[in-house]
Amino acid sequence: MTRASGTGKASGASPSARAETGTTPDLLPSLEQRLLAIPDDKFLEVVRLLERVNDHPDVRQTFDSIRPRLVQMRPGRRPTLKRVLCMPFEDALEGVGGGDVPLSRIERRVIAPLWGIVEERADRHQLDQLDRMVQEVAPGDHNGLLNIGRRLWPLAAQTLRAAMDDDRSRQALWRHLHGDEGLQRQVIDAAAYLDIGLSIEALKSDLSPKPVPELEDRHIAAIEQAAQAVARQSLAGVYPLLLVAAARLATPADLLRVLNDLDLGKARRDQPVLFAQLSGLVVSNLEARSARLDDRASAGERTVVKPADAMATAERLIASVTTTSTVMDALHEPLYRDRLAAVTSAVGAMVAESVLDTAPQGILSAIPAPTPDRAPEVDETAQIAAEDHARALRRCDRLADTLGLRQQVNDTIKRMGQGVEQRAQALLQDYPQRLEDAAATDAAELNLFYSLRLLELLAGSAKADPLRLAILSAIGESPEPE
Amino acid sequence: MLKGAIDYAPSTFEERGAAVAFTTPLLSQTRVRRGERTKLEVLIPALSEGMGTYVVPWKAVPEMVPMTMHDRYLHDLIVKEEACSPQEIRRATLKAARRGLAGPQAAQAARRALEEDEEQSTLTHYLLLLSILKAVGLESPEMLKAGIGTEEGQRLTRQLMARAADSLKLEANLLYARLAEVAAAVAPVGLAQSPKPGRLLRGMQELKGFRDSMTQWANEVPNDAAPVAAFCADVAQHTIGIGDAILADFQRRVDAIGPLMRDWETDFAVIRTHARRMAWLLDGWTHVTGAWEVALAEDRQQQALTINELFRILPLLPKKESRVDMLGAAKRVKSVHRRSVRMLEDWRTGEMDVDAIRRIELVKARTA
Repeated sequence: MTRASGTGKASGASPSARAETGTTPDLLPSLEQRLLAIPDDKFLEVVRLLERVNDHPDVRQTFDSIRPRLVQMRPGRRPTLKRVLCMPFEDALEGVGGGDVPLSRIERRVIAPLWGIVEERADRHQLDQLDRMVQEVAPGDHNGLLNIGRRLWPLAAQTLRAAMDDDRSRQALWRHLHGDEGLQRQVIDAAAYLDIGLSIEALKSDLSPKPVPELEDRHIAAIEQAAQAVARQSLAGVYPLLLVAAARLATPADLLRVLNDLDLGKARRDQPVLFAQLSGLVVSNLEARSARLDDRASAGERTVVKPADAMATAERLIASVTTTSTVMDALHEPLYRDRLAAVTSAVGAMVAESVLDTAPQGILSAIPAPTPDRAPEVDETAQIAAEDHARALRRCDRLADTLGLRQQVNDTIKRMGQGVEQRAQALLQDYPQRLEDAAATDAAELNLFYSLRLLELLAGSAKADPLRLAILSAIGESPEPE
Repeated sequence: MLKGAIDYAPSTFEERGAAVAFTTPLLSQTRVRRGERTKLEVLIPALSEGMGTYVVPWKAVPEMVPMTMHDRYLHDLIVKEEACSPQEIRRATLKAARRGLAGPQAAQAARRALEEDEEQSTLTHYLLLLSILKAVGLESPEMLKAGIGTEEGQRLTRQLMARAADSLKLEANLLYARLAEVAAAVAPVGLAQSPKPGRLLRGMQELKGFRDSMTQWANEVPNDAAPVAAFCADVAQHTIGIGDAILADFQRRVDAIGPLMRDWETDFAVIRTHARRMAWLLDGWTHVTGAWEVALAEDRQQQALTINELFRILPLLPKKESRVDMLGAAKRVKSVHRRSVRMLEDWRTGEMDVDAIRRIELVKARTA
């Protein structure tokens, strides 16, 4: 891991080497890109070393920039009190990079001032005791963290609330939050999650792993029981609990579908209000997610979205829109109809641009045109991309009516099918000229079969079959007569 | 054409048929066998409710089920080559995949598999040759140093093999011919001393991993499919038990290469039977273990669906191979977990599901 450090250049040493030797981390920003590229085991080693100097601003910045890889790899991070504090509202924390927008967003930048308030105002003795305990907990020991949370979360909630209630403290708090009203609201939200920290953690374990693809009976029972328990403690806790439940579902709108049938115990009378709050949030969340599509477009990102990824995003969003619309229609609630239609329309625009408009380049260009003076070449990377694109087009076909793209999708599929057939015919005509050299024959045959596959993906096996027979006849492998 | 569902309880591997790696979801891993009047026929399990299996003449399959282009090609190839042993079916399958009809990744995997077969065959041949020399006390560092690929190495090898033949009281040509026959029979299994395990030994290792993973899933995941997973682990375990016993005897006989060359008629027949039996025993498992490896990277709901899908194609042991009534056990699992074990959608009207086909192709790309 450690490279020889006699080069005279600090940047030549590995990050771990510098962390080990106590070098100041001011060169870390320049290494962030490298941290995203090094092998997994080295990356984990560097993360463990950086965690030891986590309080340095450059190290924090480095963690921010490598967060996508941390999210992807989920290494067992060293537990800290601040990390335990965030557990109850981690599902509401904003996503990383291009991830989906969570429900009820709490921004990551609220964590530092929030922790600052707790550190400054909570009982020092208790905090020190908890800090000693957290240092004893091994990474991955969830029960150990829960034991600390059991004491930390009520303490933190109480501290935050006391700071909000007292005039003088409020001013100090205001300074901590740099006068940002949004942050202030998020601190209040966070306190509500902390109040019911243990119930949230129990529910999270019932709704794991996240995202829960389908809301099953056992999940519904767990949500119901947790809501009843929280309602007995405080009616105000039910809403954040339901938000956590929704945030852990692949389609948060699924919770809306069952919400009115849940027995929320003491919160029963609040059910209509909870439903209205949650549905408003789900619709706003869908709008925020579709706005992100627009943001990507205006930033010029749309051209690099792979058709398969575009379809996955579209399917997720449309599933949520459909569920939400169904629930709203069943309740004769027209309030959100236009807003949901706008979300659908934004998704349609994204699909048209990423999957339909790019189809000629993405699919047809994978089939090489015969070049008489050059031996045929096979580009399997292009073929893989073209097949992915053709499959995305087929997925698009399933959503075409919902997205209002029926005609456009039909036309594109038809045009692509015709284009593939024309190119395949050109390859067939060229094939006899490729028989002198075995490698050229192999390449020509592979190109023919790959064009057949594309036609099959676009038009189906029945329409592709005549091309199959023509290819087999050309290469002398016709099926045996019946 | 369709004889109607039969209660499918094969006695022998041949009667069970060899699994064909079709990419059409309905036909995936259906089995082909030689039926009455030596005509090929295909066994399509559980088209709808119940455990019945349909016996369909091989040539009639394309008329009954819309097949992918890959499957039509493979179907024709099997007709032309009259293939119905696991080895023959594998050869046809690799040829179809190499054509690119299951996608570029499967084509690349098929090319790699064919190269590996070639390498394994050469390596096994070489290792067996060294074993023969060792058995008659003719180990030669000079030959190893020169390498079998060089002219000098080959000259030394010929000399030593001539002396080995003398020592074994055989004609040199006969010794070479027997060596080639043993190598051909042994290569698919592989030798214990080989630096790289053979294909079937690798298959056994994968099957053990599958058994452990299924057992863990059944114990840890609260899902309707957990008892189905436990059954899959059980079937894997029975297969492993038989496989380990065959391999132990196989290895022992191959290790005793001197006596093998002398008592050729009896010993070699046993080795060849063992190798063929291993191929039959593991037939169909490559897809099962590969599909599970793909599913391991997915969410638990998808894993549960995969387990139910695997249940449908699980290579149950024929009656003569195991005293355990696997079919009876499978029926019990199915009747208790009917809700969990998903039936195939209507195959007569089924449109091609490109996503399901893609999943099968991805497994093929991993397991060629």
